[in-house]
Amino acid sequence: MPALIILAGGIIAAIYGYLMGGLSAKMMADIMPGMDAIIYVSATVGALVMTFIIWLIAAGVFYLISSLFKGQGSFNRVLEVVGYGYLPQVAGSLITVVAAVIFIPGITVPTLTKAALEDPAMIEQVTKAFMHDPAMMMLTQITTLVSIVFMLWSAHIWIFGMKHARGLSPRDAAICVGVPIVLYVLYLTYNLGVM
Amino acid sequence: MRINPSRIIIFLVLLFSILPGFALAYATPESIVAAGHVYVSRAVYDPGAFFSGDTGTVTVYVTNGNANQSIVVNHATIGDKNIRLTSNSYETSANIGPLQTQTFIFSVATDAFEGTYYPIFSLGFRDAESLYYPAVVKVDNTPLDLSVIDKPDTFTQGKKKTINVLVANPRNNNVTNVALEVTGEGITANPERIFIGELGTKAKVPVNVTITPEKATTALLTLSYDNGDNPHKKTMELPITFGVDKKQADPVISNVQVTSEGGVYHVTGDVNNAGLETANTVMVTALAPAVPQDPYKTYVVGALKPDDFGSFEVTFTAGPGNTSIPIELSYKDTDGNIYRSVQDVKISASGISVSPAVGSSSNMLPVAAAIIIILIFVGGWVYYLRRNKK
Repeated sequence: MPALIILAGGIIAAIYGYLMGGLSAKMMADIMPGMDAIIYVSATVGALVMTFIIWLIAAGVFYLISSLFKGQGSFNRVLEVVGYGYLPQVAGSLITVVAAVIFIPGITVPTLTKAALEDPAMIEQVTKAFMHDPAMMMLTQITTLVSIVFMLWSAHIWIFGMKHARGLSPRDAAICVGVPIVLYVLYLTYNLGVM
Repeated sequence: MRINPSRIIIFLVLLFSILPGFALAYATPESIVAAGHVYVSRAVYDPGAFFSGDTGTVTVYVTNGNANQSIVVNHATIGDKNIRLTSNSYETSANIGPLQTQTFIFSVATDAFEGTYYPIFSLGFRDAESLYYPAVVKVDNTPLDLSVIDKPDTFTQGKKKTINVLVANPRNNNVTNVALEVTGEGITANPERIFIGELGTKAKVPVNVTITPEKATTALLTLSYDNGDNPHKKTMELPITFGVDKKQADPVISNVQVTSEGGVYHVTGDVNNAGLETANTVMVTALAPAVPQDPYKTYVVGALKPDDFGSFEVTFTAGPGNTSIPIELSYKDTDGNIYRSVQDVKISASGISVSPAVGSSSNMLPVAAAIIIILIFVGGWVYYLRRNKK
């Protein structure tokens, strides 16, 4: 069941990846003609696979930290807990896909030229400008906020799950999950600020 | 010495034969009556009216009104202290046939003040007393009138402007060789000299002159003309002051949008003519550091009437680090003068103008929202843990 939840989240992330891959393909249309399919496939499959990898990483991090608090219980149990706790993020991913469908048509995508490819400053400028596109900025802000909200919702579930899965006190479970998650969402917030 | 009487007789005969008019002159009642029918039909001055200091001629027409009797005249002259005779008097005998007119031409000069003068023409008859005739003439120092009837409010450096001048002749006689010349330091007048020719009494002629000043200066309008054979001139100073032409065309760029495609920027927008004159050949192009590229290195919008507008599109490339590009707008007025204005257009690689201030302020709201969410989460858990601990 947890794996199905992760798969559902992965499929939704893949859809989002497909939509964003379209922007990347458009940006590199001049320098990599005919590579659209590769970009689409890599963005879609990458998003799907990354969902499972993140599942494993999150479970691993929680498992390791909980070990410091002399936590009991298997890694599989932690995986199961993290999988269940991922359910809110599936809903969050659905919202981000809807936002992407709305905002992507309004994004002006600059096209990289072959000459620009030889100039790192130009690439940086193009990327920066792409990220500063008003529609792109709006999409990024919405998806980041949605991610933070649903990530914290998941964290809430994970704390209770870790408490039972690893036999931790509420305080230890909160630290075990809360610290990495809060650091992560602070990182997301920082990126939002410097965008 | 003994004088031979026959020789004396021969001498007298020869003398009388040489000078028949003089020797045979004598006044009779008939000749006096005949002289009474001789009259001055007219006296014509050239010029018709003199300036003080002018010279000229007067032609006196003497008509013999006798139907079948000739008249012999032997002296004619004219003049007084105001209208001085500068040529010789007629001192030879002349025969004026019945109903014939004889002309007597004199050169005269005057230094008199303005006024009407009556120099006396006198004509001596061989067989009667002399004829006296006052040949009236005016001395009039009224010059030709030169007036600017229309000129621009202000001039602009290098811009051609037209001034309308009216040349009028208020005198009672015609003047000839009328010409208007426009000169001045730092100005180019076209034409520099306009020949008008003869200008009749009370006549007026409009003249248009274009002036292109290079600096604020004074234009000198010189009107030259001949009164008879006497040259005269009248001058007028026309200040050339620089300023903003309130009527000139004023193209303004608006609705600017920037897009980027293949590394080439496309700037589109509208040009509105906010002035009161037509802007001709409106062109838009990008200046350095931009490098204009096809297909729209330069966009020709064309002529824009007041309150009219046209769209434009220019394409260019710009190196990295350029956040704004100068866009040059040029147009010509009706005289072909070129006007240029430059407007900076913000660009970014995405082709959308991004104001850093706007961008940063728009980021603050989601950041604040994220922080509040995190604080609620952390605070909620801290509260929950403390409550459970108790």
